[in-house]
Amino acid sequence: MTRLTRRAGLAGAAATGALASLRSRAAHAATKLQVIWMGWPEGQVKPLMDSFRAAAPEVELQVETIPFVQIFQTLEVRLGARTPDPDIFICDSPLTASYAARGHLLDLTPHLDASRFTKSAIEAASWQGKIYSAPFGSSCPVLFYNKKLLREAGIEPPPADVEKRWTWERLVEAARKLSKPEENRWGFSFEQQERPYMLLPLAQSLGGVALSPDGFKAKGYVDGPAFLEAYSFMQKLYTEWKVSPQGLFDPNLPVEQFGNGKIAMLVAGTFNEATIKTKYPDIELGVAPFPRFEKGKAVTPTGAWHIGVNPRTRNRKEALAFIDHFMSHDLQVLWFELRPYPPVLKSVWEKEAKRFETDMWRIVRYELEHTAVPRPATPGFREYEDILRTALRDITTGADVKATLTAAAQKIDRELEKYKG
Amino acid sequence: MKHGFREPWSIVAWFLAPALLGLALFRLAPIAIALVGGFTGTRLTGETVWVGLRNYRRLVEDPSFWNAVEVTLLYNLIVNPLQIVISFALALLVLRPTPLVPFFRAAYMAPMTVSLSLTSILWAILLEPTMGPVNGLLRSLGLPPQPFWRSEDQALATLIGVASWKGVGYWMVFLLAGLLLVPKELHEAAMIDGAGAAACFRWVTLPLMRRPLAFVLVADTAANFLLFAPVYLITQGGPNGATALLMFEAYQAAFTYLDKGRALAISSVILLVIGVLALLELRFLRERGG
Repeated sequence: MTRLTRRAGLAGAAATGALASLRSRAAHAATKLQVIWMGWPEGQVKPLMDSFRAAAPEVELQVETIPFVQIFQTLEVRLGARTPDPDIFICDSPLTASYAARGHLLDLTPHLDASRFTKSAIEAASWQGKIYSAPFGSSCPVLFYNKKLLREAGIEPPPADVEKRWTWERLVEAARKLSKPEENRWGFSFEQQERPYMLLPLAQSLGGVALSPDGFKAKGYVDGPAFLEAYSFMQKLYTEWKVSPQGLFDPNLPVEQFGNGKIAMLVAGTFNEATIKTKYPDIELGVAPFPRFEKGKAVTPTGAWHIGVNPRTRNRKEALAFIDHFMSHDLQVLWFELRPYPPVLKSVWEKEAKRFETDMWRIVRYELEHTAVPRPATPGFREYEDILRTALRDITTGADVKATLTAAAQKIDRELEKYKG
Repeated sequence: MKHGFREPWSIVAWFLAPALLGLALFRLAPIAIALVGGFTGTRLTGETVWVGLRNYRRLVEDPSFWNAVEVTLLYNLIVNPLQIVISFALALLVLRPTPLVPFFRAAYMAPMTVSLSLTSILWAILLEPTMGPVNGLLRSLGLPPQPFWRSEDQALATLIGVASWKGVGYWMVFLLAGLLLVPKELHEAAMIDGAGAAACFRWVTLPLMRRPLAFVLVADTAANFLLFAPVYLITQGGPNGATALLMFEAYQAAFTYLDKGRALAISSVILLVIGVLALLELRFLRERGG
């Protein structure tokens, strides 16, 4: 009896072994898709990838998530090698032109049905009339505030009505009452203290234009009067009025400080709402629109993450299947639930209308239709962004605004030279 | 054995081959690539083209390159002598075998075990102007908080301090090894001849330390010229170019400006400067030896 069982067991084990080796051989034969993805929390990445794995079991997905501060350099190295790796990569929408001009993006025009997407998403995905990246999310920062801190300081909170949005001047007035720098308490901070994404609208509110219309000249734009005025104002937040903590360049830090009640008001992306509510449930969270300058107009940033296909991929069919899956209504709803970026599919806005009946989403919807200005379309956006970012970083720490912007404009023009003709 | 004795050179060659191969592959080849690559550019579509002196011409015309040269030279002019003096002093302090010496030796060497990136992050946090503990300490002592990394005037000095915190223990080990090799008899003989401690140091120790000092000076200079991690992780070359070391410029050229030719040209300049300085340093320490 015992012997029989043991033999049966052995046979069983052998069979399982054979099966396992068969299966591993099958897995080996499966098509492998290399994906480079943003380093969002695993819980916001894995469900999406698992959903594709379930839909296409014959494809083996290898996903690398890279932190925000390294993702652009990593992509430069990997794409610069001009090999089929990665097959798919997450693509910051304003870099679409940069990657497309250098042959790092497959033309998706014949593959995507543009009519399914919002107009601004398709604009952000296009370069010279063709769609090079698949829109995966949009963005719109709002002004979050800590109701309790404002109430305690006797400040009437900023209205959620877009027509009555606060001016930056009004915001500073309130922020000064809320700040105690020596106790590390601050009235206000930007989530992204150095990123042109969040800070260009300051200059644009005063009539500034980010780059010449042909996308090749920064002189007269980046160092023009609107930029000078806007960023002198921004500098005073840190150096003169001392309402913003200096040097929190990692976008997670201001959000964390806001969550801990050290910062009373925060201009930040919509996706932070979920993070703040789950991580800091005690915060009484208020939402208001992105401020404008008193004499200026309302301008908000937009654009966000898209998905690109490496034109050198050996698995075009599977890569396009990945794009299809990620552009499907269901997956985009799942994505919205995981990380609430403003959706890019019209169907999500329509069929999920109930989700968008909050103050925040009413604001976002208005901004995307009326005030959102995409970042300049230039193949040199990577250089533009980084040079301006360094300049803004220096300005927050007290560098001479005019000299810094003039030097930045010169540097940008020098680097844009290579894309002409 | 017999066979080996007849052809000693082939055996030597065989034993050296792995090291020489490594040297060629990991040192000489990259240097050759950088030197040649400095004369090339990359088309948008990825092809490499010969551009002659264009990269160098652009560097010469570029104020941010000259700023980086200035910052790099200033940094090295201060940090190298400083580190050598401190590590020599530390080595002398822990030379005599007194009871607590092993503890101090270990303490000075401890920063060696922390990677440079970790060191950078550690000091970025410690010296964070608003929330960092160092300013907290200053405040509690009634002293004014300092901007450290965030001030154009203090950033380079802070960088020098952090690089030295990490470096001196390491260089101390080499100098300590050198000091331990100085024969005691020479000191004793000098003392008998009436030399004091200062004279002993000046006329016995120092001349015998010329070789380890030369090695440490050259190696330290090279290491400091190639310093990158703290600049990348903490200051990004700022504020306003105050910590823009050449290595960071090279990195930026490659990964931000997407200009490989420029990056390789800057790397070649760094190599050239290190080469010239190393020769000067070796000559300086040799001539005085007589």
